[in-house]
Amino acid sequence: MKVNEWCMYCGECAGVCPRSLIEVRETCLIFNENECKDCRICIQVCPVQALYKEE
Amino acid sequence: MSIKTDILVIGAGPAGSSAAKHAALNDAKVLMIDKKSEIGSPKRCAEGVSKEGLKALGIEPHCKWIAKELTGVKFISPNGTSVWLNEERVKLPEAGYILERKIFDKHMAMNAARAGVEIMVKTIATGLKRSEEGLIITAECMDQSFEINAKIVIAADGPESRVGRWAGLKTTLKPKNMESCAQFEMAGVEMEDSNSIEFYFGSVAPGGYAWIFPKGDDIANVGLGIITTQTDKTAYEHLLEFVSNCPSTQNAQPVELNIGGDPVGGMLKKLVTDNLVLVGDSASQVSPLTGGGIISAMKAGVFAGEVTAAAIKEGNYSQKRLKEYQDKCEEEMVKTFNKELKVKNYLLSLSDEELDSIAKAFKNTEFEKINTKEIIKVLIKVSPKALLKLGKIF
Repeated sequence: MKVNEWCMYCGECAGVCPRSLIEVRETCLIFNENECKDCRICIQVCPVQALYKEE
Repeated sequence: MSIKTDILVIGAGPAGSSAAKHAALNDAKVLMIDKKSEIGSPKRCAEGVSKEGLKALGIEPHCKWIAKELTGVKFISPNGTSVWLNEERVKLPEAGYILERKIFDKHMAMNAARAGVEIMVKTIATGLKRSEEGLIITAECMDQSFEINAKIVIAADGPESRVGRWAGLKTTLKPKNMESCAQFEMAGVEMEDSNSIEFYFGSVAPGGYAWIFPKGDDIANVGLGIITTQTDKTAYEHLLEFVSNCPSTQNAQPVELNIGGDPVGGMLKKLVTDNLVLVGDSASQVSPLTGGGIISAMKAGVFAGEVTAAAIKEGNYSQKRLKEYQDKCEEEMVKTFNKELKVKNYLLSLSDEELDSIAKAFKNTEFEKINTKEIIKVLIKVSPKALLKLGKIF
């Protein structure tokens, strides 16, 4: 998962991650990529489109 | 390094500070941690609270954190028809305030500190495991990693709560239950009455509504919440459209952008497990209709503080003992939240045209004189099918 520079670390992505794989720190997001099933719900809910998956 | 405490509160928002303060006032040793370097900042909220709510909590309004006292509310339908309830037209039972959350949250944390709570900022919980005595939370503060041994943890870590999940509680939200919000604080907002809050309904904010909450004569929080499953655009894109089209914001400029998720699906079914309780947004203690959650979070904080402190005195931190907290929250909130869910589903089922018809019908209504029967008559005319969703609310 890639995080654009304009991410504001609001944590909405972490709140909906069905596998609880996103850790929201004050100024960074940490993804547990190994467990990710690519559901992309985190991308869908981001209020500012800060997340994207590198194809 | 290892720290021992009776109660660890994770998250220093209104729910966490309220819980921490009331646990400390009831003689528990309390540590509260927050991942942010400044409590209350950045805000993720439209900052509205009811006067009644603050009064019920015994909190005296303070000029340092009250930005505006409200005397009216305006509902605006998609075509711009407005229904304005103000003190001239109807007796509003205790309106509300717009807070300055950055100051309010700090003020609440300071009160917790004065009650004896130890506070650590820039401190994040990174994991949880069980021990014979309670829970061990791994945490980080700057370059230090350490463990906190707590008999009870109060998880007040917001809608993105992971602490509850670590303890086995289901706190993950479905996107349909998470309002995606974006808001500008703006200067130069032209409001007809800077003491009234404004709600905009319809396709302007799919699944939610837009708002203008005044914070000064020409200063306001201008924002909206959407359900992302009902639109292809982001909350921010909807906000830009709203600001560009709304007559009140044509000459306004943003001074701050806030974003965040609001858990609007109703309170979670299970709030407690052995040695742990959830409070505030992490427990979805938010009005499903308005998205407001400051007062309910603080009320839950009081319950959580009192129940956990009593549990510490008794030496019983089991789920069964802590269930008293859940029972109190259910009694206080669930009935109201269920009613609000019905009203919300009703409002969201209406088309822009139907919302316009309702606004037109009520525009000049004398609300002091209208009764429930007459309201229903109007709503039946607009959409009998949609009205069924209100069920037995009246």
